[in-house]
Amino acid sequence: MNQFTRRGALAAGALAGIAPLARPALGQGRYPARPVQVIVPWGAGGGTDATARIVAALLEKEMGQPFNVVNRTGGSGVVGHAAIAQAAPDGYTIGMLTVEICMMHWQGLTELKRTAYTPLALMNEDPPGVQVNASSPHRDIKSLADAIKASRPGQFKASGTGQGGIWHLALAGWLGAMGLRADHVRWVPSNGAAPAMQDLAAGGLDIVTCSVPEARAIIEAGRARSLAIMAPQRNPQFASVPTLNETLGISYSTGAWRGMAGPLNMPREIAQALTAAMQKVWNSQEFKDFMNARGFGMVWGDAAGLSAHMERTDATLGAAMREAGLARG
Amino acid sequence: MHLSDRVTGGFLVLLGVLAFWGGSRLPAVPGQDVGPAVFPMVVGAGLALCGALIAFGVGHSFEDEEVEPIEAHAGLARWLGDRRILAAFVPPALLLFYMLVSETLGFLPTAFVLVLVAALALGASLRLSVGMAVCAPPFVHLVFYKLLRVPLPAGILPAPW
Amino acid sequence: MTEMLEAFRLVAAPDVLIAIMASAVYGLVVGSLPGLSATMATALLVPVTFYLSPIAAVATIITASAMAIFSGDIPGALMRIPGTPASAAYTDESYAMTRKGQAELALGAGLWFSAIGGIVGTLSLVLMAPLLAEMALSFSTFEYFWLAFLGLMCATLVARSSPIKAIASMLLGLLFACVGMENPGGVPRFTFGIADLLGGIEVIPALVGVFAVSEVMRAMTTPEPPPLPRRRFGSILAGQWGLTKKYQWPMWRGNIIGIIIGVLPGAGADMAAWVSYAMSKRFSKEPEKFGTGHPEGLVEAGASNNASLASGWVPALLFGIPGDTITAIAIGVLYMKGLNPGPTLFTERASSMYALYIIFVLANIIMIPLGIIMIRVASLVLRAPRAAVMPVIVLLCAVGAFATGNNLFSVLLVGMFGIVGFVMERNGYPVAAMVLGIVMGTMVEQSFVTSLIKSDGDVLPFFERPVSSVLAAMAIAALLWPAGVWVARRLRPAEAAR
Repeated sequence: MNQFTRRGALAAGALAGIAPLARPALGQGRYPARPVQVIVPWGAGGGTDATARIVAALLEKEMGQPFNVVNRTGGSGVVGHAAIAQAAPDGYTIGMLTVEICMMHWQGLTELKRTAYTPLALMNEDPPGVQVNASSPHRDIKSLADAIKASRPGQFKASGTGQGGIWHLALAGWLGAMGLRADHVRWVPSNGAAPAMQDLAAGGLDIVTCSVPEARAIIEAGRARSLAIMAPQRNPQFASVPTLNETLGISYSTGAWRGMAGPLNMPREIAQALTAAMQKVWNSQEFKDFMNARGFGMVWGDAAGLSAHMERTDATLGAAMREAGLARG
Repeated sequence: MHLSDRVTGGFLVLLGVLAFWGGSRLPAVPGQDVGPAVFPMVVGAGLALCGALIAFGVGHSFEDEEVEPIEAHAGLARWLGDRRILAAFVPPALLLFYMLVSETLGFLPTAFVLVLVAALALGASLRLSVGMAVCAPPFVHLVFYKLLRVPLPAGILPAPW
Repeated sequence: MTEMLEAFRLVAAPDVLIAIMASAVYGLVVGSLPGLSATMATALLVPVTFYLSPIAAVATIITASAMAIFSGDIPGALMRIPGTPASAAYTDESYAMTRKGQAELALGAGLWFSAIGGIVGTLSLVLMAPLLAEMALSFSTFEYFWLAFLGLMCATLVARSSPIKAIASMLLGLLFACVGMENPGGVPRFTFGIADLLGGIEVIPALVGVFAVSEVMRAMTTPEPPPLPRRRFGSILAGQWGLTKKYQWPMWRGNIIGIIIGVLPGAGADMAAWVSYAMSKRFSKEPEKFGTGHPEGLVEAGASNNASLASGWVPALLFGIPGDTITAIAIGVLYMKGLNPGPTLFTERASSMYALYIIFVLANIIMIPLGIIMIRVASLVLRAPRAAVMPVIVLLCAVGAFATGNNLFSVLLVGMFGIVGFVMERNGYPVAAMVLGIVMGTMVEQSFVTSLIKSDGDVLPFFERPVSSVLAAMAIAALLWPAGVWVARRLRPAEAAR
């Protein structure tokens, strides 16, 4: 009956907390005085959802109030990101931002930018990898890169996510760093990394540029190889995969990150309390175990760190999208 | 609301043409020969073709003989008389009502109004309608809010749990 | 053998057994609520699994999802509200049985053949996992395109209507599936500047709208049907053995089709039920009875549905490729618990694998007694007056739609689809065919456009690969069949009256 007793505990917590919902939070003494809502702009079951749920469970332990994960889906992330930005800045609604916040406004999907939030903490970043079929003639990234340079435009086919998604931009950026046009390798849009990896294994694609954790099971099944990651240093979980820098001498790196943030103008002391709690969560053994088990990259940044990280990705992704002809306006 | 095949077929032709036109105006994707325009254009063309066939009565022989539904004699439908078809639009209207006011009014009062109106429109007695409107919402709230953790809005009348 | 004993010991641990029971009850309740999917039931279990042992954690996911998929049939049969896109294929059939006073036979068939399908599917997982996985990995987008195309052709078979109107409804569904930016170009399409439409039209609100809301709309304008004869709600399992013997061949066909389609990532349980229902009608000796409350289609589609659920775990366990959102969640839990998917799971962690098999079988067995209790409780709804039940359905539609993404826009969508479904049904357009279009739309377009991109615009590769050429021939035959029948009828007008 494990889950039901747990629910009971949550219920008791919620009971104490629902009544003063309408009242403002300030001047109520210690934060948090009632349950906190954690908005996730993506659907249940994905990596972002799983990360948010473990962070919420550990924050609950840390701060003594329920942190309820709410999936606000729709609009390819636009709806949920907007919901975080538009919530009352009282610290009782926070959310998990993803790299898309630095992409959507370039695509003209929304006016919403990174500046609409109070950054709290950067929790994770996964760099893209370069995966090929296990029977591919290219044993290392150097051989693949040379073959790409020698190929006619559009001959190589790559996938990993939809058109204009983060892994598409990773490919475009990498090609740009090699002095090639962004569409020299043709992008085949897919519904995410898993179908792309399947198609790679079925022999329908040449390259998949999703993150290594997403490709992991197929690699371990001996159907695909990871040749490199686009990161400043190797991932200890996949230590045999080199970086672009050490193999090709290209210092190109990017990645899909996840961070916690609240709406703009959150009270400073509440934001600081949350950042401090998130740092403890990030350092906890449970979180480490979870992230390592999933193979997710552990990258920490406090409020200023997340802010700087967002500013950097916003600029580089904007440039990559203009280069690839994906930006509008 | 029974329309002739000519009307529904004609509507489908129009919709198909609009989809084809709308699809053809979608921007091409740089570096891609086949983009987002192809599929709506194919579907639109197919829809227009089917609409035309339906309008000309092709395939009609496959259909069961249309049984004109017996008209209702209770609740709103009775009161509306010849315009009883309007009663059918009560449920969508109630859903629209829920969407517009549940955030401000809260789940329990909104659900009360919704159930009450729907029950009365279906011809339930006032006692049954009020009874349902009082009992059902808290039960639904309990299941969805507690068991499934759906954040239903509290509004002016928060639930006691 | 020692591994098998070890597996039994793992499953017999008290915490695992308790987890199975608790998640079974939980899955049954969640699945029976309209608008709440099996996916949601599983996702809500994830934080709970943090605190469980590995086997118990996976057991909760397996049990809850199997139960939720079955209990999704209950509101479909009793109130014409399909709980999952899969049960939409045969909702009208089981509801027709309920209207004939055979609710217990319809629900019993759902329960009994779901359990059989689940167990047969598990056996396929045990005996043929590597073989099936090999098949799944050989499917490229060309094969997927023809498969999806075949799925769409089922539209003409599932409806009692003119095939032209069925195809038109299906195309309308495909058009709805075009909305949003989840298309190969990644550009907003038919969104009319509404941010909520960027993510496209989700299946659950459409499903709830065209079935449940339109049913309430119909109730508003028609008199209450004469109450069902006030007799005891009969035994639920009685008669199932008879059905099993009578429809043995359709049952096996359903199991096999379910296993094959289920193993293909992205096709999954939704499509299996549709294809099996359509096949059942196509090959039945009495196809004219379909749609009037005839159990044959329920037997085949119910078995297929749950068989595909079990075989859907094959690519998940061997390659970490999720077949659907449920196995996607399960993969996350497997990683978290150190049971990393991959061939090594079958060799190095064999006892854990056997334990998973045992849990699958166990879940499908306890589904029968628990399902009977659930059906008995739920069927009280049939006793209540219509004016008391229908308002609660409207409320559940609103809350269920909201719960899919905690987004009020879905509530509006449900209402809109209610109107669409109402108008369509009044004019002889089958709504189930439209739902099929919405379910399959993304897959059809994705596989079609990406195949064209990969072949540089050439259509020849669609027919070149061996599997795709077979599928193409089947699809074209299915497309030409109604036209052929129509021509034949025109030539022999004497036979026009069936």
